[in-house]
Amino acid sequence: MLLNIMKIRSNTATFNRNKLRNHWTIILAFLTVCLQTEAYADSNPESSTASPKYTRSEAVYSLPNIEMLRHDQVKTRFPQELDDGRPVILNFIFTTCSAICPMLSGVLSGVQNKLGDEIQGMHLVSISIDPEYDNAERLKEYAAKFKAKPQWQFYSGSVDNVKTLQKAFNAYRGDKMNHSATTYLRASPGKPWVRLDGFLSSDDIIAEYHRLKSSHSSNTGGG
Amino acid sequence: MIPQSARFRPANRNVLRLLSGHCLMALSLAILVLAAYAEPSAADSLEVELGRRIYREGILPSGSPLKGLRLGSIEVEGAAAACETCHRSSGMGSLEGNIVAPPITGRFLFATEDNRPTALVDVSAPKNVTRAHTPYTEQSLAKAIREGVNVGGRQMSPLMPHYVLNDAEIKAVTAYLRQLSKDLSPGVGDDTLHFATVVAPGVDPNQRKVMEDMMRAAFSQRNASQQNYSGRMRMPIDLIPRTLRNWELTVWELQGAPETWGAQLRENYRRQPVFAVISGLSNTTWAPVHEFCSQEKLPCLLPSVPLPPAETAFYPLYYSRGVALEADVLASHLRKQDNKATRRLVQVYRDDEVGRGAAQALTAALRDSDIKLEDRVLSGQNPSALKEALTGLSGQDTLMLWLRPSDLAAVGKTVKQAPERAYVSGFLAEDDYGVISKDWAPRVRVIYPYEMGDKRQKTLKLLNAWLKTWSLPLVDETFQSEVFFNLLFITDLTSQMLDNLYRDYMVERAEDMMSLGSNVSAYPHLSMARGQRFASKGAYFARIDQDGQLAADSEWIVP
Repeated sequence: MLLNIMKIRSNTATFNRNKLRNHWTIILAFLTVCLQTEAYADSNPESSTASPKYTRSEAVYSLPNIEMLRHDQVKTRFPQELDDGRPVILNFIFTTCSAICPMLSGVLSGVQNKLGDEIQGMHLVSISIDPEYDNAERLKEYAAKFKAKPQWQFYSGSVDNVKTLQKAFNAYRGDKMNHSATTYLRASPGKPWVRLDGFLSSDDIIAEYHRLKSSHSSNTGGG
Repeated sequence: MIPQSARFRPANRNVLRLLSGHCLMALSLAILVLAAYAEPSAADSLEVELGRRIYREGILPSGSPLKGLRLGSIEVEGAAAACETCHRSSGMGSLEGNIVAPPITGRFLFATEDNRPTALVDVSAPKNVTRAHTPYTEQSLAKAIREGVNVGGRQMSPLMPHYVLNDAEIKAVTAYLRQLSKDLSPGVGDDTLHFATVVAPGVDPNQRKVMEDMMRAAFSQRNASQQNYSGRMRMPIDLIPRTLRNWELTVWELQGAPETWGAQLRENYRRQPVFAVISGLSNTTWAPVHEFCSQEKLPCLLPSVPLPPAETAFYPLYYSRGVALEADVLASHLRKQDNKATRRLVQVYRDDEVGRGAAQALTAALRDSDIKLEDRVLSGQNPSALKEALTGLSGQDTLMLWLRPSDLAAVGKTVKQAPERAYVSGFLAEDDYGVISKDWAPRVRVIYPYEMGDKRQKTLKLLNAWLKTWSLPLVDETFQSEVFFNLLFITDLTSQMLDNLYRDYMVERAEDMMSLGSNVSAYPHLSMARGQRFASKGAYFARIDQDGQLAADSEWIVP
C-alpha cells in the first residue's frame, strides 16, 4: 500500500502549482496515517470502557454508631437512622463531583419518580463523602437540583465519621476522587445488603429492588 | 483543471480501495483542515460561539436546552448535560475513580500519527495514557455524540449521554472543539516554563527571603532532576515522553497603594508572561492580585494571605478563607453554646484591610443571633488607643482579638485583669503565644486553623528534612509549610499534565489532585473539587499551655 501512495505522490509531483501540491501532500499524509491508524482502531482506549453492566453481591455490614447531619439540619444517629424498618437504597456522593455523582443522583431521581406511590414506604439515602464542603445547606440545594422527594435524604458528618461509614460499607477508597459507582439496597433492618457495583439505570435498580422485596416477603412469609 | 496524468487510473484497484471506508473520512478530514487554513471569517467565529454555548452551558443555538439520554433512560438537560461537566473547560477531560472522561479537543480527536498528543488519563496508573485511534471526522464524531459509538465502532462509557443535536449543531460543537486548547498557554516557552510569585508591600523582609529561598531551591532541584531525566528512570511517569522545560521564577514585588498594584502586575506580566503565579505574600489585601489573575486567566495557586477576597473566581485558589473562616468558626461555636454565656462580644481590630475584613466577617456571621457585638477599633501606635479599646469590659464579656503579636503583647500590659474568655486569631498571632501575659493566657482560646501536636510534627517531617538538606532556616513553620506544599504540588501537577500546558487544565487538575498527594502542610487535610476554591475548611479552638504551646481544646470545627 505504501508503494501505491508513492505512485500517487509521483503523479501529483507533476503539478507545477506549488500551493495545490502542498495541499495534496497534506491529503496524502492523512491517507498514510489512515493506513497506519486502522491497525490501532481496535485498541482505542475510549472503546474499551464498560458496557452498562453491573455486578451484584450480598454482604452483611456492621454499621458504626455515629452521629450524622441530615440535609434538614437535624442531627441523627446511624445506624438507627437506617433501621426504622423501611427498605433502604443508599449511595455515596458529593455535590461538587463532576461525572459519577450527577449520574448516580440522576438515577435515584428516576427511581423515586418511577416508583410512584411505592416510594412512600421507602428510604433513599445519599451520604456525602466530602462532608467538610457539603454542609446541610449545600446538600439541601443538591437535593432540590434532583427534585428529591421527602423519602430521599442526604447526610453529612465529620470527616472521621464519614470515613468510618464508608469503611463499614467497604466503599472507602482513600479519597473522594477515587470513589466508585456503587448502590446499596436493603429490604429491612437485620437483612443483608445487596451491593450493586457499576452503572445501573433507574429501571435496573427498581428491578433489583423488586427482586429483593419479593425474596424478602417470600422468606418472611415462609418463616 | 487537473492534468490527465494526475488522474487515478482505474486499473489501480488498491488506490480505489484506499479511498473507501475510513480513508474517505480521512480525506474529508484533510479537506476540512485545508478549509480551516483560510482566515477565520465572521461565520466561523459565530459557529465557534454557538459551539461554546453547547459545550459550556448546554444551550442550543435555538436557545433551548441541550438534551441527552444516559444509560438509555436518564434524561440530562441544559447545564447538567453540557460537555464541560465531564470534559471540563479545557476539554482535557477528567478522572473520577476509574471513570475516565478522555480529552476531546481537536488536537486529540483529529490527531494523526505525526502530531499525536499524549495525556495522562489515570493518575494512579501513570502508564495509562491516551492511545492512538483513527482520527475522527465530523461524521464519526457525530456518531459518537449522538449514539455513543466511538470511531473504532465501539460503545463508549455509559456516562456519555447520547445527545440530540442536528447537523448544524454538531458542526458548531466540532468547530468549538477544533480551537479548544489548541495552543499552549502564555508563559510556556520552547524550553522554559515561567512562573511568578507576588510580594505585597509591607511584608517582613525575612519572611519574603525565606519564601524566595525555598522557591529558588525547589526550582533548581527540579531543574537539575530534569537534566538527569534522560539518563535515569525514577518513576513510571518518567517514561512518558514530553518536552523538558526549565522552570524559571520571577518575583513580582509590588509597591505603593493597592489601587496601583493592578497596573504594576500588568506591566510585570507584559515584560515576562508567566504560566502561573505560585505562592505569594501579603499582610494586607490580596484583592488586586486576585482580580489580575482572573482577568489574565492566570492560575494563582495558594498564596499565604490572611484575607482572600470573599468573591471566588476560577483561576485563584487558596489554602483557606483566612480570618473570615476564623470568624465563622467562632460564630458557629458561640451560637451553639448551651448556656448562652456570651451576651456581649467585643471585637478589637486594627483599622486596616485585614482587621476590617475580619470584623466584617464576624459581624455578618453573628447577624440575627442573640449576641451583642461591639467593635473597638485601634489606629496608630498610641498605647492609649488600646487602653481605650479595652475600657468598660466586665468579667461577663467575651473578647475577640484580631491582633498581631505586637498588639497582643500590649494587651496584657494595658489591662491586667482578663475577661472570662478572650479569643485570638491564629492567622494573625503568627504562632507567637509567648507574648500573651500570664494573667491572660489561661483565659485565651486561639482559633487555630492548623494541626497541632504529634500529628503536625509527623506531616512536617518532610519539610524539616528538606530545609536541612538545602541549609534553609525554619523561621515560620506554618507559612513555610504552605510554600513547601505548593512547590511539591506544582511539581506533581506539571508532571501529570505532560505537555498539555494549558492554564485552565492546570486549575482543573489542581482541584482534583489537591487531596490525592501527601499532605506536607500544617493543615490537617487539604481538599478541593470542581468549583471549590478553599482547600482547608475548619479550625480548632486551642488553649495555651504553661510553656506557651498550643493544645487542642475542641474537635476540628467546620462552620
